[in-house]
Amino acid sequence: MKDKQFWSVAGIIFVLFMIYWFAGHPYFVSERGVMFWSILIVGGVLIYSTRMAKRGEKIFLRTIPGLKAVEEAVGRSTEMGKPVLYVPGIMDMDQVETVAGVVVLGHVAKMTARYETSLNVPVSRAIVMKAARESCRESYLMEGRPDLFHDDMVHYLTDDQFAYAAGVNGIMLREEPAACLYMGKFYAESLLLAETGNSIGAIQIAGTASPSQIPFFVTACDYTLIGEEFFAASAYLSQEPELIGGVKGQDYLKILAISVMILGTFLNFFHDLGWTSWDFLAYLTVQ
Amino acid sequence: MEKFLDFIVRAGSLDRRIIFVVIALVVILPLFFPLGLPIRPTNSSQDVYNAVEELEAGDKALVSFEYGPSTKPEIHPMAIALLRHLFEKDVKVYITCLWPDGQFMAMEALEQVADNQYNKVYGEDYVLLGYRPGAEAVIKGLVSNIRKVFTVDSQGNFLDDIPMMVGVNQVKDFDYLFSASAGYPGTVEWVQYAADPTGVTMSTGTTSIQVNEVMPYVQSGQIVGILGGMPGAAEYESLIGQAGIGTSGMDAQSVAHLVIVGFIIFGNISFFVERRRSKKY
Amino acid sequence: MFFKRQLPIAIAATIGFLTLFGWFVDEPTIKSFVDDDATQWFDILASFAMFLGALNLLKMQAMKVMKKQKGWQYAALAIAGFAFSFTAGFILLGSYNVEITEFDDPAKVATVLASEINLDEKSTENVLVAVPEGDPYIIETPYFTKNGADNVVEQINAAGGTAHMRATDWGAHISTRGSLFNWMFRFIFTPLSATMFALLAFFVASASYRAFKIRNFEATLLLISGIIIMLGRVPIGGSISAWFILYIVVLALSAGVNTWFKNKTYTLASVVGGVLIVTIAGFIMGWPVDQPAIFYLPVLQDWIYNNPNVAGARAIMIGIGLGIFATSIRYILGIEKSYIGE
Repeated sequence: MKDKQFWSVAGIIFVLFMIYWFAGHPYFVSERGVMFWSILIVGGVLIYSTRMAKRGEKIFLRTIPGLKAVEEAVGRSTEMGKPVLYVPGIMDMDQVETVAGVVVLGHVAKMTARYETSLNVPVSRAIVMKAARESCRESYLMEGRPDLFHDDMVHYLTDDQFAYAAGVNGIMLREEPAACLYMGKFYAESLLLAETGNSIGAIQIAGTASPSQIPFFVTACDYTLIGEEFFAASAYLSQEPELIGGVKGQDYLKILAISVMILGTFLNFFHDLGWTSWDFLAYLTVQ
Repeated sequence: MEKFLDFIVRAGSLDRRIIFVVIALVVILPLFFPLGLPIRPTNSSQDVYNAVEELEAGDKALVSFEYGPSTKPEIHPMAIALLRHLFEKDVKVYITCLWPDGQFMAMEALEQVADNQYNKVYGEDYVLLGYRPGAEAVIKGLVSNIRKVFTVDSQGNFLDDIPMMVGVNQVKDFDYLFSASAGYPGTVEWVQYAADPTGVTMSTGTTSIQVNEVMPYVQSGQIVGILGGMPGAAEYESLIGQAGIGTSGMDAQSVAHLVIVGFIIFGNISFFVERRRSKKY
Repeated sequence: MFFKRQLPIAIAATIGFLTLFGWFVDEPTIKSFVDDDATQWFDILASFAMFLGALNLLKMQAMKVMKKQKGWQYAALAIAGFAFSFTAGFILLGSYNVEITEFDDPAKVATVLASEINLDEKSTENVLVAVPEGDPYIIETPYFTKNGADNVVEQINAAGGTAHMRATDWGAHISTRGSLFNWMFRFIFTPLSATMFALLAFFVASASYRAFKIRNFEATLLLISGIIIMLGRVPIGGSISAWFILYIVVLALSAGVNTWFKNKTYTLASVVGGVLIVTIAGFIMGWPVDQPAIFYLPVLQDWIYNNPNVAGARAIMIGIGLGIFATSIRYILGIEKSYIGE
């Protein structure tokens, strides 16, 4: 959408919304207003950053060693003639981390297609299998190597957490992949996978937003993408200005969140002292 | 001396199978020869105990089982200890399961505590509503209308035919909420969709790994107390004065932790010797 | 191309907008869609997708067996396991109860029943006599096969009693104690799952042995806090005196003095001085195990859990929350299209 069109559409939506708002906003759950406005602000900031990036604004994206190492890991596998193992977590597609894992898989599949390296993706959910398969197929097609793609490179093992861990560990010990990538949502199986990967001497890169599993991955893997880094992976690997703009937007949002936290601390302090009657924390608590 | 240092450096690259054998031994031996170490409850376990103590006979507690056979050794002891405490105080217990295998765990715990130990009557003192798929959607449903999610209990009885379900329509009708959780869906979802919006007092029991993820909710007061893994279960057992599996596992865990610390210290000595040598040459 | 590009993005955007903004709308239809229908749709889709998964699993394993690939024996075991679970879940319910409604002559019925409930005839007769009048007696352990239950029924009827066979309802057999599926869950699945989880203990030991090295200041902090948590969390930590920790602190500080000044006199002075101060203080205070509290492991552990840990966890959670939010918005707005391969 061009700038003129974009602002016209945004302006119309804004005017319509204002009319609705001042007409008494029927059907609107007023107690959730804070959340609503927050979403609008966050959405607005992200759209703004994306559009700025599209217009050619230079954006600095710091080097993320873990992502830089992905290509290195695929290259190493190629040299050694061993496969790359990719684990997209143990949850379904309703978890954003799994979606992010499938997105990164697309980029990894492009690399394996380019280097003609074999890729093995065991999954624990049938829907993830379909999505991951499509993602790989597209990547191989885009790299001009549809001949190297076959459906079974993405295969289903089981829904059960530890049975899946046992299955993946079995694959690792039998096939001895040179690179193991864990990108998605993980629970207690994280260390079982990462330690087994370590024992076969594979280069290991993990990415997750599961706070309790980050220490395990940090301990047993060569590189770990922590939370936001993982979500920024797609932008980093694709170098698409639209996506990089989104990452910058995230930074703006972080500044905003920190400001609200500092402001909230003061306002709450004043409220506790009885200087103001406005309970800022109660206002922010969405029911 | 040089030979000794050589030995330390060589031992530094210890085969992990040796570590496995040592850990297996130190876990097994205390189970046969208990040390009887004293158990000191932490503040978070004490908070759970106090929250249950505040309940009165006839109050209603909703207990959710969100764990399976794999995490049973960590969560099951605390679920049993909590049920013992609740039945001891004649609190009415309502059980839901967000994990399919949670229902099997709940059945086992109820058989042991409600049937065999306290001779409680099904439908009057406790009810097992069972498992429903849908994770957060189930919690949201329970918050708005229990009968929308459960028309029958786990045994196929209509909810309206169960005496203790009379007047119980939504989460707000409960006096206490406990989530015995080993992951997703679990504690965090109960806080976000049930405890916070309704204001019902909630406590939780989780695996040791999850404690740091749940701790922010405990510190902010959204969760009243947390039982962390097997130590949490042992502490709760000591608080209610009924030693169980948690207590018997504490000696093994204590010795295992001590041995791991020993390994870490030994590994560091070896690391230092090696580093010094490499600097020297 | 439309079905592979525009349509998926349009569906993601529409449903995304609806579920996101539906939360702010007080309209029953939208509310019910957001709260129930949307998630149920996903569950239904996921349930059907299970067939795809199961077929794929079978295909992969069967190919392995046929091509005799490395580890094909495990593949054969996986297929056998699948077949067994399928049979136990869908075909052989394995939960048939025998109900004895009439036993006018308990002694005769006991001759048959005794072997079924593993008691001698006299005790079995007593059990039957103790049953309240009018109530049936149900053999507690169900039979795996219909034939097995029918045989017992026939034998009891022949012995002068009246017995019936009752099969557990389809579906309820899964949670019925004694059914084939339940047996499989309790005696195969449970120990196997617990074994996999228990492996964590060994892996934690080997991983920490390898990774917890004093490489720099941060690693040292990690190591010290790790040891405090490990010991303070278990009862043995409570038995370690705060004075013992104080002595270790004195030695550690002296090591610091040695590194800093590289002077043996200073080092010796700090060791001797520190040990003397701690010892005198100990004698004055009477060596209580948990005093001074800041050197008592359980207290230290509590503090680390509640302060530095929570601070870090909150920061990571907020970052992750923002990341999830931004990513979701990117999908809804169609900025991120990599999930369809673009």
